[in-house]
Amino acid sequence: MSIISSYSTKIKLAPRASRGSGSRTDPTWKLLHEAVIAAAEALGGEVGVEIADYSGATRGVDFAISTPEFPRGAGIVVSPGGEVRFLYDHYGGYRRQAQQICDLVTKHYTTLAVARALRELNYEVDVEETGQGAERRVMVRGVM
Amino acid sequence: MTKKIDVQVNRDGTFRAEFSGFAGDECIDHAERLQAVLAGFGLVVEPITVERKDPAQIALEIGEDEETEHKIGQEVPR
Repeated sequence: MSIISSYSTKIKLAPRASRGSGSRTDPTWKLLHEAVIAAAEALGGEVGVEIADYSGATRGVDFAISTPEFPRGAGIVVSPGGEVRFLYDHYGGYRRQAQQICDLVTKHYTTLAVARALRELNYEVDVEETGQGAERRVMVRGVM
Repeated sequence: MTKKIDVQVNRDGTFRAEFSGFAGDECIDHAERLQAVLAGFGLVVEPITVERKDPAQIALEIGEDEETEHKIGQEVPR
């Protein structure tokens, strides 16, 4: 029998206690870092650790991506339990731009995690991007 | 027979996985193992829909696989 399934996804990193003092070497943390870099590159943006609100006030976050379309930046905060939250101030009509950053980080994280999971399950993995613009999709193929 | 998992990642990070070439309930087992390994990589996934392929789709997959093996056999005559 074969099936076709669709899945919802949520990023949840290892809890801080198990990440230990070297949290930045934890595999899930590194995966998130890779996803953030890939999303920033795709949007022509930059990775930082600070976001701004509409008034210019700043706050620190674990990762931030600022883009030419949304210079205030969207931030990512990881709780001690590993929950991942996106933070941004979309006041002034920037909801779409901010959401695009968050979606892209999640999309890249999913792609990286699926590719690695399939390799761990001994599949040969190939990753391919298809489509243009908003319709851009990623296909991860595993063959055993 | 070749086992394949094709995963289409959507714009918002949700995804659709197509399991092909699995015998019996083996694909359910692989789907559950994939979910467990993904959790270890920090991705918690929940199935939204699960569709069983109909016999015609499965027959087509098996046919494609046999055809591929036949072609490969023809390409390397010794």
